[in-house]
Amino acid sequence: MEQDIAAQSGAWQEGSARANSEYIRHRITLDPITRLEGHGRIEVFLNEQGQVDHAYFQVPELRGFEKFSQGRPVEEMPQITSRICGVCPTAHHMAATKALDALYQVEPPPAAKKIRELIYSAFVAEDHALHFYFLGGPDFIVGPEAPAAERNVLGVIAKVGIDVGKEVIAMRRHLRDIVAMAGGKPVHPVFGLPGGVAKRFTPEMQDQCRKVANEAVEFAKFTLQIFEEIVLPNTEYVSLIVSDLYTHRTYYMGQVDEQNRLNFYDGRLRVVGPNGVEWKKFGPSEFMENVAEHVEPWSYMKFCYLKPIGWKGFSDGPESGVYSVAPLARLNACEGMATPIAQKAYERYISTLGGKPVHHTLANHWARVIEMVYAAERLQELANDPELTSEHVRNLPTATPTEGVGIVEAPRGTLVHHYKTDAQGFLQHANLIVATQQNAARIAMSVETAAKGLISLDHMDDGVLNKVEMAFRAYDPCHGCATHALPGSMPLYLRVHNATGETIAILHRDSKGDVKRD
Amino acid sequence: MRILCLGNELLGDDAAGVVVAEQLRHLLPADFDVDTTNDSGLDLLDHVVDTNALVVVDAVQTGASPGTVHLLDEDDLPSVCGASPHYVGLNEALRVGRALGLSVPAKIVILAIEVGDTLSFGAAMLPAVRAATPVVAEMILENMPQWS
Repeated sequence: MEQDIAAQSGAWQEGSARANSEYIRHRITLDPITRLEGHGRIEVFLNEQGQVDHAYFQVPELRGFEKFSQGRPVEEMPQITSRICGVCPTAHHMAATKALDALYQVEPPPAAKKIRELIYSAFVAEDHALHFYFLGGPDFIVGPEAPAAERNVLGVIAKVGIDVGKEVIAMRRHLRDIVAMAGGKPVHPVFGLPGGVAKRFTPEMQDQCRKVANEAVEFAKFTLQIFEEIVLPNTEYVSLIVSDLYTHRTYYMGQVDEQNRLNFYDGRLRVVGPNGVEWKKFGPSEFMENVAEHVEPWSYMKFCYLKPIGWKGFSDGPESGVYSVAPLARLNACEGMATPIAQKAYERYISTLGGKPVHHTLANHWARVIEMVYAAERLQELANDPELTSEHVRNLPTATPTEGVGIVEAPRGTLVHHYKTDAQGFLQHANLIVATQQNAARIAMSVETAAKGLISLDHMDDGVLNKVEMAFRAYDPCHGCATHALPGSMPLYLRVHNATGETIAILHRDSKGDVKRD
Repeated sequence: MRILCLGNELLGDDAAGVVVAEQLRHLLPADFDVDTTNDSGLDLLDHVVDTNALVVVDAVQTGASPGTVHLLDEDDLPSVCGASPHYVGLNEALRVGRALGLSVPAKIVILAIEVGDTLSFGAAMLPAVRAATPVVAEMILENMPQWS
């Protein structure tokens, strides 16, 4: 023990001395290429003929969650899991809370469910708005062919105008204020408890929600109009959406209510086949019977597939268990939207893209706008619900905990939390299945298709990077979540290997956004 | 003046910023604006507006040895390119803030600590990274008059 302390103290001093001596006072340039191992990468392997054999997309993943959770009181999970990701903490908080309901076999009272769904709708509306304008926007508001220097969030602001940009930020703040007011804290909500919520809704809170919800619906309608005016008349973009490069005929999963309409917060998972016909509908407790994870030697990622159909490799069609989640998948998996404006927009989307199911990955952006309209309208419905201010917001759990699965539709797709505990509620097993794992096989297929079309030993088109990026950006895959760490942007690179595995080229972006080849 | 410390205490070396914040809270008056968050993407916007001076403490990976402290300014950050909240960082938040006419401080000082593993749950920080945290806290205290 003493030795340990001495060793630690020695290491501390050595580190401190090094930190002082290495405190760099001159300017350095942060080159994203220095973070190769920490960020998204595409590995392309050529065969002996110099053609693409395989291409893989990898994202860094957090490690050790299972071990970290073991032995912890399960009630900590809504707080811990909401800290996993700086992007969608509310989704993790909600999935964890629902898993606790299931674990303790307790049904929250109606008002608690409504409060949860209201908070969740505000979160989804905000996340989708931000994504549409600032994150997906570079591709389809500015345009895929625009110069790299303009294809960014500032280019989007230039195109839609500063006033719209300001409105996006203001709307986002109002929606976040709702999450903060009702959820305890904006970034890491603390309201979810097994069997209900921690805080009742007062009439004043309801008034504020009503006001923001009305604004949110107007804003969502305006956003839909922008999409229909800027994006749809652009035939180049529409032909890109429907091009073969971004089309895969897989299964689709999404959560639906009793009438098979999309629901973010609750319901059953509905899976439709590549022909659009329902394959199966199941509740959270049956998730693990229906989904399995495939492992490949080249990746630490787990690829989800439909267990009863089986893993048939990275292929589409009814024989392959590959499925996807996220907005496109949700609109395929449901039979309609539960609110009027969203339903109308949904009908236009389906008819414009040639009927259901829509297999075009880039249609995710359009689907996201429709979902944003739905989230805003649902927020408005809930904000006007008289039951919201009921005093009864929690049923106390009395059952002995064993196992529970909680599912929500996160902005990026179905999110599953699965816990097993001992009789005292200490965790023995915790598994999270995030959207990216469920989309991983389909993303890998898109990347390989793009690489095959654009790369060979003699021809490495620098434009491949953006084309490939567009394929997976549409899903907005989750990365290891320490991504605030500097430099914080441009994490992608593409490495080409020859038949003997040697690296023969690396494509990446420089700090101006231009593609560089090393 | 605000000191914005970015990091996630659950993820090994990514805790560096949070540890610096804890030390600063002991060294500075209770009402001093020390802000800690693991927000990423444009959510950082909330943390960079409405202050006249900003010092940011963050983790960085440039290939230098862990524990190295880099003193940077905004121009050292790569420019806007991200198309996912997972690809958007501090620089984009600052630029969006400015483009929209929000109140973003003109000068920003960034202290970046070179880190190792930021992806493992519950992992201990490397001793060299931990040792760099009081160095950074002291640097901030020493330079506060000229940075504010």
